[in-house]
Amino acid sequence: MTDDRNKLDDATFKKELTTLIPHLRAFARSLCRDASLADDLAQDAMLKAWNARDSFLAGTNMKAWAFTILRNAFYSEKRRSWRRQPLDPEVAEATLVSNSNPSDALELLALRNALALLPVDQKEALILVGAGGMAYEEAAEICGCAVGTIKSRVSRARKAVIEILESNSTGYNSDSGMSADKAFDDIMKQADEIARAPTS
Amino acid sequence: MNKKKQLGQQKSDADLKRRGAKIGDQLRRIYEEVAKEEVPDEFLKLLEEADKKKSSMPSASDE
Repeated sequence: MTDDRNKLDDATFKKELTTLIPHLRAFARSLCRDASLADDLAQDAMLKAWNARDSFLAGTNMKAWAFTILRNAFYSEKRRSWRRQPLDPEVAEATLVSNSNPSDALELLALRNALALLPVDQKEALILVGAGGMAYEEAAEICGCAVGTIKSRVSRARKAVIEILESNSTGYNSDSGMSADKAFDDIMKQADEIARAPTS
Repeated sequence: MNKKKQLGQQKSDADLKRRGAKIGDQLRRIYEEVAKEEVPDEFLKLLEEADKKKSSMPSASDE
């Protein structure tokens, strides 16, 4: 079988896959914000990659290959509910605590929140290129679309993030901020109605 | 007036670029923060188990 030349032996494959685990975790974490769900996804992708090792061609980009597997797992029917992760206050807090510079941490948190508001195709493009340091070509391969599509998604995502961060001066926890405003409005409306109600 | 407008445009373009670069830095930090974490043992354990399972399979070829 001439094909064997293009295959890594299992030990080498395992070693290379192991070095990719931190990246799988980081990519998974940026796709689903909940850390334990993300690790679940990363583990799933790692095992799927291991089981598919025969289809990996030696000398090609294993990181892009493994990211494609992770992405497919993320989009699979089973994970539909993972895609809309509301801001988890505990995660937010953990992010704050884990960082030594509080204003810095707030900025990162604001950015995380802004990312969560992006359409998932824009978000993943921005994460792969902006955070993961992938080339546009690699990101296009992972997402199964044209390079131009990735470029435009990244640029739209960047613009949207800047706008979100700007429209929300604190940038922090925009969702609950909005609902707090609404709650306040509702209370005022009720108070108004009570005040206007005929007393007789 | 046109010139003024152009200047304003240039300024906001530069501003946008600066903000974009900052966001790029922060994105990398968010990613690297996780990538730098120590890999939980569970990952390595799972991979080890999958590897063992494979070699104990009767169909496993020349080892």
